[in-house]
Amino acid sequence: MKRIAARTLYTLIVLLLSSIAVFYAIRLSGGDAVSARLPASASYEEREEFRELLGLNDPVHEQYFRYMGRLLTFDLGKSLTNNADIFDMLTEHGKNSLVLGAAAFGLVFVIGVPLGILAAVRRNSWADGSVMTFSVAGMAVPNFWLALLTVWLFASTLGWLPSAGCCSTKQLILPAVVLAMEGIALTVRMTRSAMLENLGQDFVRTLRAGGLSEASIIGKHVLRNAMVPIISLAGLRIGQIVGYALVVETIFGWPGLGQVLVNAVLRRDYPVAQFFSLVLIAIVVLSNWAADVGYTVANPRLRKA
Amino acid sequence: MTAATEGATPAVEARRLDWEDRLLELEEAQHVTRLQRSLRRMRHNRLLLLGSALGVVVLAAGILGPWVTGGDYVTQDFQDIHLPPLSDGHIFGTDVLGRDMAVRVFVGIRVSLTVAAGVTLLALAAGIVLGMVAGYLRGWTDRAIGGAVDFIWGFPLILLAVLFVGGMGGGLFPVILAVGLVNTAAIARVVRGEVLTLSQREFVEAARAGGYSSMRIMWRHIFPNILAPAFVLASYYVAVAVIAEAALSFIGLGAQPPTPSLGQMVADGRNYLRLNHWESTIPGIAIVLVVLSVSLIGDGLRDVFDPRLRHEAKSVDEQ
Repeated sequence: MKRIAARTLYTLIVLLLSSIAVFYAIRLSGGDAVSARLPASASYEEREEFRELLGLNDPVHEQYFRYMGRLLTFDLGKSLTNNADIFDMLTEHGKNSLVLGAAAFGLVFVIGVPLGILAAVRRNSWADGSVMTFSVAGMAVPNFWLALLTVWLFASTLGWLPSAGCCSTKQLILPAVVLAMEGIALTVRMTRSAMLENLGQDFVRTLRAGGLSEASIIGKHVLRNAMVPIISLAGLRIGQIVGYALVVETIFGWPGLGQVLVNAVLRRDYPVAQFFSLVLIAIVVLSNWAADVGYTVANPRLRKA
Repeated sequence: MTAATEGATPAVEARRLDWEDRLLELEEAQHVTRLQRSLRRMRHNRLLLLGSALGVVVLAAGILGPWVTGGDYVTQDFQDIHLPPLSDGHIFGTDVLGRDMAVRVFVGIRVSLTVAAGVTLLALAAGIVLGMVAGYLRGWTDRAIGGAVDFIWGFPLILLAVLFVGGMGGGLFPVILAVGLVNTAAIARVVRGEVLTLSQREFVEAARAGGYSSMRIMWRHIFPNILAPAFVLASYYVAVAVIAEAALSFIGLGAQPPTPSLGQMVADGRNYLRLNHWESTIPGIAIVLVVLSVSLIGDGLRDVFDPRLRHEAKSVDEQ
C-alpha cells in the first residue's frame, strides 16, 4: 500500500511538472505563433494587439493558472489553423486513436502470447527458432521502414489493402499491425522466458508425477503463473504504442491524436500543440502508473514493502 | 586539500603521495591484463569484425562520398527526373526534382552519423556526471536524479522529440537534445550502479583510508573504471539515435530541407513506389546498413568488454 501511495504521489508530481514544462516551452516559442497566424505584412501594432488578445503579454504563471482553470471547464479555445474547437478535436480524433490503439494493443497479446507459449513448449525446435528470429527482426526493423514495406507489398503490389486513410476495417489492418509489431516481439520474448522459468519449477514435476496431462499442466498451472508479469506490465505497452502512434498515424494518414500533434507542431498551431502534448503525456504517465500498480499488486513481496 | 592533509609535514605528505602512486600502479596493472584479455576476445568476435568492416564502409560513404561526388545535393534538373539507378552520370538515379540520389544518400549518411555523434557525446558526458554524482553522494541527490532518470526512461522517445521540436522549432538540434536526454538516462543508470559496486572495492577503501577527498577519489580512482562500461553502453545506444533521427525526419520534424536526411528521402520517395521504388528503397537500405553496423559494433563491444552488461541492457529493453 505504501509503495502504491508513493508511486501515485510521484505520478501526480510528474504530471504537474510536465504540464508546467510544456506550458513554458510553448510560451518560449510563442512569438512564432503570432507570425504563423498573421501575414508577414502585419504592422507592429497589429501584432501587439493580437498578442494582447491571446493573453501572451501577461506573466507566464498567470497564463498557466488561467489555462488550468479553462481546462476544468472544457473551454480550450480554437485551433489557429482551421478554427476548429479543440475539445471537439479531442473527442473526434481521440475516438480514432482509441480504435487504432485498442487494435494494436489487442494484437500484441493475441499474437504475442500464443507464439511465446509455442516457442517455450517446443523449445529448441524449428518452431522456437523461427518464432525467436521473427521476434528479433520485429525489434530491429524501424517501424516507418516496416510501414513502407507493408504498403509496398500489400497496397502497391498485391493491391489487397488500401495504403492509407480511415476508418474502415481494411484501412485499420496495416497501421495496427505496424504499430503492434515491436510490442508483439517483446511479448513473445517475455512470454517465452516466463513460461520456461515456470516449467522448470518443482510444482510442475509434482503435477506430472500426479499424472496430470501435459496440456492441463501448461494450460491451467504454468500459463497462469507466467501471465502475471505480462498482464501486470501491460501498461508499459500502452506508453510504447502512444509514442509510435505519432509516426504510424502520420504515415498511414490515420486522423488520431498523434497525427494531430505532429501536424500542430509542423504548422506551429500552438494552442492545439500544447493541449495534445498534455493529453499524450498524461496517457503515458498514467499507463506507466498502472503498470507500476499492477506489478506491485501481482508481487506479494513488493505489496508488503 | 582535505582537512586530513592540512599541516602535514613534508615527510608525511611524501609518504601519502607514495601511497596513492602505489595504488594507481596496482589499478594500472589490473587494467593492462584486462585490456589484453579484451583485445584477444575482440579478435575472435566475428560480429564485431563484421560490424567494424561495415562501419568502415559506412564512414567512408559519409565522409568520402560527398567529397568524391562533389557534394552538390541541391541542384535540380527537370530534364532528368525519376531516372532509374545506373543511369548516365547518376549511379543511384535521380529523384522527383532531378537531384542526384547518390550525392543525397552520401550526405544523408553524413547527417545521420553527425546526429549519432552529437547524441553520443552529450549522453556520455551528462550520463557519466549524473551517474557518478548520484552513486557517490547517495541520499536525496540520488533520489532526485533517480526520479528524473526513471521518468525520462519510461517516456516514449518519439513523443519527447516531438515535444522538443514543438518548443524549439524544427531541425536537428532538438532531435539531438531529445535522443541525447533519453540515452543520458540509460548511461546514468548503469554508471550509478557501477559506482555503488566500485565504492565497496578494496582500492577505494584504501584510498579512503589514505584520507583523500571525495572529489579526488571520484576523479582518480572511480572515473577511470567507469569509462569502459559507459563507452560500451553508449555504443549500444548509437543505433537508437540513428533510427530516431530517420523516423522524425520521415514525418517532417527532423532535418529541414534542403539538408538531405535518409528518413526524409524515404518519405519523399514513397509517392512513387510503383513508378520508381528506388527513390525510397536506396535511402532505406542505407538506413538499415548504418543501423546494422552500429548495432553489431555495440553488441560486439558489449560482449567483449562487459558480458555482465548483456543482462543489464536486455532487462532494460524488456523493462
